[in-house]
Amino acid sequence: MRKALAGLTIAFSSAATLLLFAAVLLFVGVIVFRGWPGLAPGLIFGDTRPLDALLLRRQVFDGLFPAMAGTLALVALTMTLAVPAGLATGIYLAEYARGRGKALLSLLFDILAGLPSIVVGLAGLALTIVLHRLFPGRIGPCLLISALALAFLVLPYLVRSVQLALESVPRTLRLTAPALGADKLTTIRAVLLPACLPEIAGGIILAVGRAIEDTAVIMLTGAVASAGVPRSLLAQYEALPFYIYYISGQYADPEELQRGFAAALLLLAMCVVMLVAAQWLARRGSLRRQP
Amino acid sequence: MTTTMNGKIRTESLSFSYGERLLLEDISVEFADQAITAITGPSGTGKSTLLTVFNRLWEEIGGGPLHGQVLLRLEGRWQDIHAPEMPVSTLRRRVGMVFQTPNPLPMSLAANLAFPLKLAGIDDKEEIAARSREALRRVHLLAEVEDRLVSDARLLSGGQQQRLCLARALMLRPEVLLLDEPTSSLDPKACAGIEELLLELKESCAIVLVSHYQDQISRIADQVYLLGERTLLRQR
Repeated sequence: MRKALAGLTIAFSSAATLLLFAAVLLFVGVIVFRGWPGLAPGLIFGDTRPLDALLLRRQVFDGLFPAMAGTLALVALTMTLAVPAGLATGIYLAEYARGRGKALLSLLFDILAGLPSIVVGLAGLALTIVLHRLFPGRIGPCLLISALALAFLVLPYLVRSVQLALESVPRTLRLTAPALGADKLTTIRAVLLPACLPEIAGGIILAVGRAIEDTAVIMLTGAVASAGVPRSLLAQYEALPFYIYYISGQYADPEELQRGFAAALLLLAMCVVMLVAAQWLARRGSLRRQP
Repeated sequence: MTTTMNGKIRTESLSFSYGERLLLEDISVEFADQAITAITGPSGTGKSTLLTVFNRLWEEIGGGPLHGQVLLRLEGRWQDIHAPEMPVSTLRRRVGMVFQTPNPLPMSLAANLAFPLKLAGIDDKEEIAARSREALRRVHLLAEVEDRLVSDARLLSGGQQQRLCLARALMLRPEVLLLDEPTSSLDPKACAGIEELLLELKESCAIVLVSHYQDQISRIADQVYLLGERTLLRQR
């Protein structure tokens, strides 16, 4: 009976894994199949010379460069806001918070992690309206407010990954630095965080993935169909996920839909590049720490 | 209790609990300098806890309260390790500790060795390099790692990692060395190397060794105590 149950478990697990693998393969396959023909030379820069576009000498009107630049700027700004706050909160929860306060804060971040992004987007919109009333004509939907809202959205992933990573450090390693005379802050900085670097990088990768693909938040807080490369934090901007959303609902001909798939392929490629880079950095950081 | 001329650590009516559970009760004992004192006994009786009492590491784990006194002979004078003039960081620099599991810090070999010195405010690169070589030589590791001091310490074998941890503990030239079953995760060859090393090291400090291995204790220990029923009984 036990043997049959073990066999059934293995069979079910293998089938589930195969099914998931096939679904991912199918998903990526469809994106590549539909998007690949759209990867024409002019897809990113249109008629503008790439160097002129990259140096911001000329605007790109018929390519995806502004949306790519907007997405990169948005993710960079989001992570700049979220990573320090997430690290600090995760450290606080793992190393300093105790008892009921810790349980309450942990529960709060778990609830936040499950918050639908449209709700966060609405909160961002409400903040925009308040700021617009306070500073009429100067602040409206913009890159900064989108980044703030997205940072709020990804914060629970960062906090919980840092907290869980720190809490899983073996006790003897945790006690090593204090046994040598280190204080708590030195122990966290010199031992615990470097020891958890791969797990923390994993949390950051998750957060980057969440921030780069989100559409609900940005469509309510600053992303538009046509704005060019964002020139300031208070400017509106274009973003690849919003472009894909917009094109899939508004396309006029099959060629335009194909551009949407090509944009999805680019977004996928950007995600892969960022994930690989983050993993490489984490591995390099954890295995090659110089004296 | 009477004190001896070559005593290094002494407890007076020491009692220690973890919450409701009394682990050590009314222990008055003195461990000799330049000797290996072995503490043995069944699992869960508080041998490792007793070690953490001597460098106040239990305060990082939680536990207590601690009653009684723990004294350390420094510059010929017995000093209370809980006295305000003995900061805990100073105490831990004079009382080194090596754990059961090898625990290299997540950094290079050289950085592992430099870490305690930097904590103690010693930044001179030449001094750090000289002390590192000396410590590695003492633990018979220098020849094996001399050409890869900048590589990650976690890439060493288990025996090498444990010897590195011992070298790191020796960097500050401690007067007492606390060893919590330091050979339990090592193979017989590495274990023999550590034992030989401890016999050399005892010439310069007091060693308190927690060990389950009776043959090891009979080979290297000068004093042997059995911890059971919350108290220490001298066996040898």
